[in-house]
Amino acid sequence: MAATGVVRWIEAQLAVPAVGDPARRDLERQLTSLRTPTGELLAREAEARRAAVARADSGAARPDATRMRQANPLRELAVEYAGLTLTRQAGSGHQLAEVLADFWFNHFNVFQNKGLDRVLLRDYLEQAIRPNALGTFEALLLATARSPAMLFYLDNAQSVAEGADPRDALAQRFPAMRNRRRPAANDPRMEQLRQRMPQGPNENYARELLELHTLGVDGGYTQDDIVGVARILTGWSLDRRTGAFQFNAWAHDRGEKAVLGQRFPAGGGREEGERLLRMLAAHPSTMHHVSSKLCAKFVADVPPDGCIDDAVRAWQQSGGEIREVVAAILRGPDFWSPTSVGAKVKSPHEFVVSAVRALGAEAARPQALVAQLARLGQPLFQQSAPTGWPETQEDWVSSAALLARMNFAVDLASGRMPGVRVDLDRLVPATADHGALLDAIDSVLLAGAMQPTTRRAILDEIAALPDAAAARAMAVGLALGGPDFQRQ
Amino acid sequence: MTISRRVFLRAGAFGLVSLGADPLFVDRAAYALGGRGTRGKTLVLLFQRGAVDGLSMVVPTGDAWYWRERSRIAIDRQQLLALDGTFALHPRLAPLKPLWDRGMLAPVQAVGSPSLTRSHFDAQDYMESGTPDRKSTTDGWANRYVAAHDREHAETPFRAVAFGPQLPRVLAGSAPSLAIDDLRTFGVREARRDGDARLTRAFESLYQGSATGLVASSAAEGFDAIRMLKDADPGNRPAEHGASYPRSRFGQSMQQIAQLIKADLGLQVAFADVGGWDTHVNQGGGEGQIATRLDDLARAISAFTTDLDARMLDVVILTMSEFGRRVRENGTGGTDHGHATAMMVIGGGVRGGTVYGRWPGLAPEQRHEGRDLAVTTDFRDLFGEVLTGHLGAASLDGVVPGHRPAPPLGLFG
Repeated sequence: MAATGVVRWIEAQLAVPAVGDPARRDLERQLTSLRTPTGELLAREAEARRAAVARADSGAARPDATRMRQANPLRELAVEYAGLTLTRQAGSGHQLAEVLADFWFNHFNVFQNKGLDRVLLRDYLEQAIRPNALGTFEALLLATARSPAMLFYLDNAQSVAEGADPRDALAQRFPAMRNRRRPAANDPRMEQLRQRMPQGPNENYARELLELHTLGVDGGYTQDDIVGVARILTGWSLDRRTGAFQFNAWAHDRGEKAVLGQRFPAGGGREEGERLLRMLAAHPSTMHHVSSKLCAKFVADVPPDGCIDDAVRAWQQSGGEIREVVAAILRGPDFWSPTSVGAKVKSPHEFVVSAVRALGAEAARPQALVAQLARLGQPLFQQSAPTGWPETQEDWVSSAALLARMNFAVDLASGRMPGVRVDLDRLVPATADHGALLDAIDSVLLAGAMQPTTRRAILDEIAALPDAAAARAMAVGLALGGPDFQRQ
Repeated sequence: MTISRRVFLRAGAFGLVSLGADPLFVDRAAYALGGRGTRGKTLVLLFQRGAVDGLSMVVPTGDAWYWRERSRIAIDRQQLLALDGTFALHPRLAPLKPLWDRGMLAPVQAVGSPSLTRSHFDAQDYMESGTPDRKSTTDGWANRYVAAHDREHAETPFRAVAFGPQLPRVLAGSAPSLAIDDLRTFGVREARRDGDARLTRAFESLYQGSATGLVASSAAEGFDAIRMLKDADPGNRPAEHGASYPRSRFGQSMQQIAQLIKADLGLQVAFADVGGWDTHVNQGGGEGQIATRLDDLARAISAFTTDLDARMLDVVILTMSEFGRRVRENGTGGTDHGHATAMMVIGGGVRGGTVYGRWPGLAPEQRHEGRDLAVTTDFRDLFGEVLTGHLGAASLDGVVPGHRPAPPLGLFG
């Protein structure tokens, strides 16, 4: 694409109203993993857990088998949803919007294999991340902070004020109990209850909110600020039956707090958390930290200062409109400079998605691609650390990782990936004229960026192959698995 | 820093040696690794995922509370293998008893993390990152060790290897490390079965011609690794000295680690998972769930030490688990998440035959929060002592950051 073409493409991509290609909507509506109500999934999850315990109790199952069966009814849906995500990324016409949705999911990472997040992850993406990926950063931050998936993942769901009374919690969960006589505080049953109840504030989410989601590790906050944030967010939790956000007034710390020099007076409720999040969203450290991550994503592993400055300026002028910030980065000189073009190595995720997209491969069972991605070292939704996946080549480039990419490329190009159909005829004609074949591959797969050395190596290799279709599959496999395609 | 180091080493001595199919290459690599007359040392890390009940592995027979709190799952006294007056091995760990008798097995009791989390996910994370209660650490302590301690002339692709489909957190980070599912299939899958590595050659010339920087050096490392594996062919080395590995996934991992060690390819840190320890229900005693898992563990380790024989002088096995289990059995014949557990250090250079670690006692007032075996040895101190005593780590500053080490247990020297 010529530069003007790229500019027009970027403008069009940023102009889409929201993440989610309308052309795909009918297709997606059929998916059980999208259709099943959250409450039903949670009920099934609880049921599966009970059944596993009962089965194991009967002594029938070995522990490993037990755990596997316990996860099974939901695992299928989780895999279907992961497959859907890959299909969207590889097939959507709204490519940039999908890239941004993935960027924000990674920025506000949630680990699918932690307990209820197996179920809650879908709503997190469908309701918090995707609808806000092209909106304002403030709306996105508030949506993630209120999301049950995040509250569960970083333990805020069990963060309660020091000395909060579990009897109040029970009364809230089971309204009928309110009319019953409350057990005395020194009742031995209360001791049991207390051991099972969360005790005191949990700083986990508060710490990551400041360090990862907003200000950044050098953003100028202290341990006291973390404690303040944790206290302000006590009571932000979820209803474990419906999977909806729930503010537990009984668990909220009503004392006075201070964060970054701002006073939060005594007696505050849920609204003081919202005030805090708005304050964090508009903080200069946040603008700098998040802009720098966007520049690292789109421009270079070590983001150039100029890019960050452009992004921060757009942030200030637009009030944190993500479209404007991204546009400033993609229009900026750093994005176009020769040192940036092709400077970044694709992550395994980017590699798989771009290969499938380049070949126009159709995944009848995208699960196969999900499994491949795991084998390449970046299993979808499976980053356990709240940092999300790293963005730098040192984290992704290793000998075993590159060999795995070569194998993936050859399997994909030669149609050996189960459940994934590749029609090379639609892409490049099979021809005995290997020069013309390489021209076509260069233009279709590498946008004209094939190096002469690459061309020569592929030509040498396929020279000995008499069959035109075999030579084509080999050439496509080598091109996808070779070094040129590993660069963004 | 890592990049330039790796690029430099590629272009340096190792790069020269590894070009071409030098038949002496393997021997020379082994010689280079030996440094000053000693062969390279290997540390084998085994992660018992799921939180193993340390009280069932190294049973505190001398503590009356063990018998009082575990009426259903305590192990029959007659079956236990006494170690000293206080502790005994689980009967299914019998294959490890000869190692104890020969002074090669050092169990450490009451090891654990300062973190109070009872979540498997968090606790495993902390044990692998080496930074308890700090979630933002992205790399693992073993990778940081490898990155900080360069062995002279020994930049081999096999320095840090995990056996399994994915690299575990403990080996993740900036230093090169490999995840190998199977030594026999590592590399580019050839379409043809006639042994002609033409696809491998095609990709190699592609990367030699067109790749730059880290991609070029990593690819070259990969093709070196393929060649080294082809020359040394560790995957087809039979077990020696009558060793017989269990056919389990873990047994196969242990056999492959032994094969790689015997091939002298510079393996310094090896890793394997051994799961199935989350015994909330029907844990069993001398027989049953945990006994079956211990059986697999002990038979694989025993086969490994038999197979390696004298080479065990250069090898140490370290077992670990994210936490231990409750002192008192629960209502379903199992145990719930606890705090401290037992770990094992096994090797020819280990001062074994003694149970290490201060025993805190199982009486309610001696327990952590009244429920769990208290931690008397921070896992970072145990891991650090193994790194120092076995691998000769010069400094642990970057490996377990922010931790002030306790006096060593005395496992080595």
